[in-house]
Amino acid sequence: MIPAAFPRSVAIALLRFAIWIAPHDTHDWGHAMLNELNHVEGNWSALLWSLGGAGVLAKHAMLALILPGTHRRAVSSAGELFAKEIPMRKPAFAVIVSCVVASLLFFLVPVFRQAFQVSLAQWHDVFHVEHRVGSPEQDPELDALAKKAEQNQDAEALAFVAVRYPNQIQRARFADEAVHLDPNLTWLYVVAGTAYLSPSEIDRRVSLLKQWDPGNALPHLFAAQKIGATVTYNKESPQGKIEQSPAWKKEMDAAFQSPKLASYVDRQKQLDHRVLTHYRLDDPFQAASGENWYAFPNYDSWYCSLYAQSLLESGKSLEARGDRKAAFEKYFLVARFGQMMSIDGEYIFFMRKEMKEAYSRLGALSETEGNGEAASFYTSLAGQLDKSEENERKLMRSRFEGSDVSLWNAFLVRLSGLGILICATLLSLCALGVVIRSRSVRLASLHPSRLTLALGFGAAIGSLLSSAVLFVSYRPYSELFQRFLSKGDDAGLSELSNFLRDVQHPLGSRFSLGTWYVSSSMMVFYFWFAVTILCALALLIAVFRHFQTRPRAHAAA
Amino acid sequence: MKTPRLSPQTLRVLERFVERPTAWRYGYELSRETGLKSGTLYPILMRLAKYSLLETKWVTTEDGVPPRHTYRLTPNGVELVRSTFANSRASARSALKVRRPAFSGGRA
Repeated sequence: MIPAAFPRSVAIALLRFAIWIAPHDTHDWGHAMLNELNHVEGNWSALLWSLGGAGVLAKHAMLALILPGTHRRAVSSAGELFAKEIPMRKPAFAVIVSCVVASLLFFLVPVFRQAFQVSLAQWHDVFHVEHRVGSPEQDPELDALAKKAEQNQDAEALAFVAVRYPNQIQRARFADEAVHLDPNLTWLYVVAGTAYLSPSEIDRRVSLLKQWDPGNALPHLFAAQKIGATVTYNKESPQGKIEQSPAWKKEMDAAFQSPKLASYVDRQKQLDHRVLTHYRLDDPFQAASGENWYAFPNYDSWYCSLYAQSLLESGKSLEARGDRKAAFEKYFLVARFGQMMSIDGEYIFFMRKEMKEAYSRLGALSETEGNGEAASFYTSLAGQLDKSEENERKLMRSRFEGSDVSLWNAFLVRLSGLGILICATLLSLCALGVVIRSRSVRLASLHPSRLTLALGFGAAIGSLLSSAVLFVSYRPYSELFQRFLSKGDDAGLSELSNFLRDVQHPLGSRFSLGTWYVSSSMMVFYFWFAVTILCALALLIAVFRHFQTRPRAHAAA
Repeated sequence: MKTPRLSPQTLRVLERFVERPTAWRYGYELSRETGLKSGTLYPILMRLAKYSLLETKWVTTEDGVPPRHTYRLTPNGVELVRSTFANSRASARSALKVRRPAFSGGRA
């Protein structure tokens, strides 16, 4: 129960605080309202009286801040009359401190700390220019995890690192270590792909994959890819003649004959979830790093299309020779393999043309054979491919470009993150400048200029606003990440991944105006160019002022 | 002489002062008589004081109780209030006169 006198005590405290922040010329009125409180009947009436009075004083405090001249204190001495600085206004100081404290309080919230870290991702390329010229990249978080995983002989953690590690040689080593510790992780070779591996290493991995999962088409596609790379780079066999290589044809045929095409997406997501929760990794970039590619098999789709075309040609020649059964089998292989490449029920565009032709041919052959039911079925499948084209385009666009919402939120996160940095720098500079000029840290002795006060005030408000915007913009993505960590729910990972990808582009990059387009790398160049110009200007001004003030010093001497 | 904007609330406050022009009034007393809250009353008093229409004074009423701020119209204030109320009466009369011809005209 509230004590009877409590509202009156609050009323007194409130009015005293209002008087403290009020401009000097309203102090009399503040005390007038405060002293009248002793005569107000009823404790709650006293609180209402105080609220009204505090409102009046707060209004004057704000006016004094915005229009400093309207509440100027009467000068008491000639020295004060001609002084350029004004004493630190209490309301201004109260507002600045309140905003800074409120901004700092945001950092107590883990979601905000994560949001701030995410907002800093845009600076990665700006301050790590050496990564752009090819030196091996390091990731301290992954390094630490790899160290722990090697110490604990944790195969899953090594697999997690192997998929993400920037350095290709290390990546291959971690993958080998993980598979060596746990052969059930052989699927890791599919996820890791064959890029940057030597032909002998590809052969070894393909052989292991074939043994581990004999029904999968992917090891054959890897083998065909290796042969393709060898043939393509051989001057004697120009590009485009790969289909003439018997070894390549053999592997592609085995791939097309295989009963399944497994990219082990689900296994990888489950492993990611286990490792992230076990090692308590709260970096959303690690969770969503491979999301865009989870559903895309990392084999060479062009080869699949090429082989499908050769199968269709072969089917047509068989059909011309009257061997309809053999032709049917060829067309059927193309259609079946195309279906295996489907994502979420949609067909991958790499095989659309070939699949459509295969269905049409299958329909025509069934018609010739007198099987009307099969003919209409294949014809309807060919028609469905046309209808699904638009959905497929949308799916691809959302996977690669992201939604407008994620794009906008990424912009807000980058802008507010930048806002916090700018405001913090400005506040620090103002505080430093005032302390140096006043040669004191005591509040009463601080004499900021109007410009400094206005800058500090703006920066404090800006930092609070930026913090609020950053928190609100990032919160939905934090929830998506937490849902993946706590429940393994990967429904929002794609959205999170798109958002995180956009967040990494420096603010102002990917901006286009007519034919003028600013890419991320150009933005980095412009940034450092601007920094260099500003430094040069500052140096010039410093030199100019030095030479300008030197004669005066002599004159004074 | 510059005068403040005379809102209906300001007129209500001035009316209370006009009743006893020489008496010093307390803020809470004015609030109760006019029905205005402190958030409305004090800006009016501050504005009147700023235009030198109101004079203020601190008075000690009893021992141990902080002094109270009291208010009274200045001669300028009294003059303004009288002219304002005189004008308003005149305009009210003229408004009535404007209406009256319709009746008198009808009679004539």
